[in-house]
Amino acid sequence: MITHEQIEAVKKLRVLTERLQNLKEKWEKAQPTVCVEPSQLFTKAWQEAEGDPIDVRWAKAYALRLEEQPIAIRDGELVVGSFTSQPKGVYVIAALAPYRVLDMLGKFQIERRLSATSTATIDERDAELLREDAQYWVDYMPPDYIGKALREELGEDHFELMQDRALVFEGPFLKAERQSAFQDMLSAWTGSPHPRVNVINTGLKRIQELAEAEMEDIMDKGVRLSHKSSDAYRKYVFLKAMVLTCKALITFAERHAELARKIAEKETDSSRREELLQIAECCEWVPANPPRNFREALQSLRFMHMALRMEQPGRPENAMGRVDLILYPYYIRDLQEGKITRQEAAELLGCFWLKTAEIETLETIAEWFAPGALLPNCTICGRDKDGKDVSNEISLLVLEVLRQLKIAEPGVYIRYHDGMNPEFIRYALECNRDYGGGNPAFVNDGLGTDRFLDRGVAMEDAVDWCTSGCLGYHADCADHEFGVAHLNLTKIFELTLHNGIDPKTGRQLGLQTGDPATFTALEELYDAFFKQLDYFTEKLRADYFIRRSIDLEHSPQSALVGILHFEDAIRTGLLPQRGGSKYPALFSMEWVGDRGVTDVSDSLAAIKQLVFDEKQVTMAELIEALNADWDGREELRQKCLQAPKYGNDDDYADSIFVHVWNKTQEILQKRPDPFTGLKPFTFKGAAAGHIIHGRAVGATPNGRMAYTPINDGATSPMPGMDVNGPTANINSANKVSVRELRGATHNMKLSKQVLNTAEKLDKAAVLIKTFMAGGGWHLQFNIVSSEELVEARQQPEKHRNLIVRVGGYSAYFVDLPLQLQDEIIARTMHGMA
Amino acid sequence: MITGKIFNIQRYSIDDGPGIRTTVFLKGCPLRCKWCSNPESQNAWPEIVHRDSFCHRCGTCITACPEKAIVLGDKGIEIDRHLCTNCGRCAEVCPYNALEMVGQEMLVDDVLSEVRRDAEYYRVSGGGVTASGGEPLSQADFVAELFARCGEEGIHTCLDTSGYASPGAFKKVLAYTNIVFFDIKHTDPERHEEMTKHQNGVILDNLQIVVKSGVDVIIRIPVLSGLNSTVEEMADTAKLIRDSGLNKVHLLPYHKYGVGKYEMLDREYPLEDLVPPAPEELEAIVRMMNKYSLDCEVRI
Repeated sequence: MITHEQIEAVKKLRVLTERLQNLKEKWEKAQPTVCVEPSQLFTKAWQEAEGDPIDVRWAKAYALRLEEQPIAIRDGELVVGSFTSQPKGVYVIAALAPYRVLDMLGKFQIERRLSATSTATIDERDAELLREDAQYWVDYMPPDYIGKALREELGEDHFELMQDRALVFEGPFLKAERQSAFQDMLSAWTGSPHPRVNVINTGLKRIQELAEAEMEDIMDKGVRLSHKSSDAYRKYVFLKAMVLTCKALITFAERHAELARKIAEKETDSSRREELLQIAECCEWVPANPPRNFREALQSLRFMHMALRMEQPGRPENAMGRVDLILYPYYIRDLQEGKITRQEAAELLGCFWLKTAEIETLETIAEWFAPGALLPNCTICGRDKDGKDVSNEISLLVLEVLRQLKIAEPGVYIRYHDGMNPEFIRYALECNRDYGGGNPAFVNDGLGTDRFLDRGVAMEDAVDWCTSGCLGYHADCADHEFGVAHLNLTKIFELTLHNGIDPKTGRQLGLQTGDPATFTALEELYDAFFKQLDYFTEKLRADYFIRRSIDLEHSPQSALVGILHFEDAIRTGLLPQRGGSKYPALFSMEWVGDRGVTDVSDSLAAIKQLVFDEKQVTMAELIEALNADWDGREELRQKCLQAPKYGNDDDYADSIFVHVWNKTQEILQKRPDPFTGLKPFTFKGAAAGHIIHGRAVGATPNGRMAYTPINDGATSPMPGMDVNGPTANINSANKVSVRELRGATHNMKLSKQVLNTAEKLDKAAVLIKTFMAGGGWHLQFNIVSSEELVEARQQPEKHRNLIVRVGGYSAYFVDLPLQLQDEIIARTMHGMA
Repeated sequence: MITGKIFNIQRYSIDDGPGIRTTVFLKGCPLRCKWCSNPESQNAWPEIVHRDSFCHRCGTCITACPEKAIVLGDKGIEIDRHLCTNCGRCAEVCPYNALEMVGQEMLVDDVLSEVRRDAEYYRVSGGGVTASGGEPLSQADFVAELFARCGEEGIHTCLDTSGYASPGAFKKVLAYTNIVFFDIKHTDPERHEEMTKHQNGVILDNLQIVVKSGVDVIIRIPVLSGLNSTVEEMADTAKLIRDSGLNKVHLLPYHKYGVGKYEMLDREYPLEDLVPPAPEELEAIVRMMNKYSLDCEVRI
């Protein structure tokens, strides 16, 4: 347990030393620049490896980048490891998204903008090289196995449901038009791994040796399995890919060491020269070997964390894992032996923190995914298998770095439980307030562990989990795949109001569940909606079954992920998602998620009140107004807006919310996962998916205008509509269960004013305690003043440093799309006078 | 059944007593403090307010008003408060929620069911319910009933009073009160009258009743530069508090959050020029209070 003295000591540290201030300033000023080398090296290696088994081929296309892509060591930095030579390099692999790369380059010519939210530059020559590279993949394009099978089995109409068509389904891979030269789900099917404690502690050399020994064994003993099976050889090949990857990762670190020595030779400042030599020594030792001290542990974590992002820049999430648990043993030993001071550790951790922000990818600059965010989640605190609090001084240092460095990411997630020192919670909230955005956030330690226990995981493994994405979680023992498929509930509701026809195109997309104008009771509308939902859920499940089956057939296994799960991978030759874990059945992926439960329930509440209870308007009239996007019917829209809304602890609206939530869960979960036979968990994530979802949906009876964003998050109320304060907001949220969810967010806005004294911080802590006791999962306070936001919207140039987190991730406010800015401003300012 | 005139029930109140509280704001106050930040609390009857930022200038209210009290001026709608009978018709028809009727009659049961919703937060944080206003003791029977019922359910009660009420009202409510927030605005009767339209004799007498009752008391002092905050004035106040045998004081620095509400009520803001006290001024007062052995904090 963290003590008062420790908190006081950490608060006094100066993270923003002159060194870090300089590094931060340079980073802030840097322009995102597209780098072409990684993409070219990928293509080159892939071509050269033609004929190799696919796992090896994939590993080689990764290894060559580690061996040859440009690297850099920036002036003054203590923790190294560069994705590109640029301080803000856009790391692109054309093969994984050739059409998008071409599209992006096309836009460059016009305005050199990547999207409405971000700009990046690219050298003329590099642009040409990248275009050539992308064109190669467009020309090369292997057979579209998935597209063909889906057409064959589900028909052409199935494609109408995709994200780039009617948008009944949403997900990075659920597009009618082909995206990648690889099978579409490649990045998803390798899971969302994170650096595990055991990998850092073991070192890659040892992992390589273990893999080699196993390979030798397979070769020597020949066919141990049935002679009809190629399993043993497949395993051999995968281990070979792992060995290759271990070597390349070690080389990557050694290249940094070499570079450090080279710079040191020319360095005139003796203290910097000393630092560079220390860096060299460090990179020569890790991640190949077990770290010998805090600095090496940090450097090793840095390399392993960035290794994941480089392998697949498009991987939607890239968690750091439990940073405090990884680093603490090294830190405390150094501290006790007098080898390091707290101040030095804080600066080193600050350097490490800033390094995570050195990369951008196509995904971060895509408005529709998670604008500005790469989600390198850092998880701290929690309890061990005996229920003992494991928070330590690194947990504190992480928070202090967050508070002082003030950069948008990483997001810090505190595994909250009642046994924590209340003073620590107060301190965390203080950091939350001073940071200015919604960071750190809190997640329910007990619930996270219970979810694994529910699935038969032993206690010792169940407690070992970290957060990922926005906001899910995965266990060290098996990680988990990324939820790729969301049902757009708001769209499905719109289709229901139109008897299954999409009003945008006039096409019959859903079932004919009747013309709502003829309905005489709300129950009929409920029935029609749930029938439609059931119908589309079945479609999505069939899609998933076919898509993933083909993907498993044609996609490589990532050797890097194998290294992260080396014990199991060496034993089985498989990744966790292919059964290579202690708990093969645990890998039931959340193949289905949903967004828009609040839109649907608030719409139903408005219909209940205005159409059925008070008969102020007929259903036909309402639908006509929706079709006209409220044109000439502003008064009706206002009535709809003023109808009861979820999030106010008001039973009229909340009971509808609870019904829609429960019934949706029931429908989504009633079909077992086709690969494990288990009941699937569902995902109600946040990020900016709600903006895309909204683009396909006309006006809705909750008062929403056509094609504007739907509601974000799982239990977060409609922005600006939760007017009864934080306790009402939490009471509403706790009326539903999030236990069988793979991810969910709950965002709440608090003004600084309600956190400006120790007493008030303790009162806010009660909100967390009550939320968690009621079964809540994730709670994030976005702390900011509305004046500040309005001003930032008008004068973005003056508010570059304003950080806001939306639905489980942070971004710079001024980088957000205007729609998102407006939404944040609209969110009720709880506690404002 | 007894009813109260309520103009707001605010959950997650964190400035009105210990822990997390639900504050019940009662309408009607005998004082007319110039700096009052809740002007809608003063009159005992329901009143119409209009929020210009919501107004679309649609004119629905103008047509609907039976007294022809509403006109559209340069700055949006204007209500002739002499003609207006606060019938509420305009608020009913306004599509944009720009017009609102402030104040409604509520049964103790209804208020209690709202208060109960946060019982868990009170339990965890040591909070409860606070009766504020307006002057809650203007509706002493209602507050006494509400507090008695809260007491039965183990909900902590706090009375936030200006002190200006009948001794009988005090006695009725104190029997069910766990803690009293008692305002002292000035010790001098004339100055008090200038500030609030009433002298302070009643208040000072009631303070003694409260002290004798043995209920916990925290003295709240609004700090109004130029009205009550000189060293001498505050020293007199400090003496009064100490001599009453009390020792907990909260300073409430003046703020301008109420200005908008005056506009919504078509009233002039009486203290255009008053500025919030500087931190040094507040610190000096705290030091001075400490000299009188008073435990004093600034509530911001």
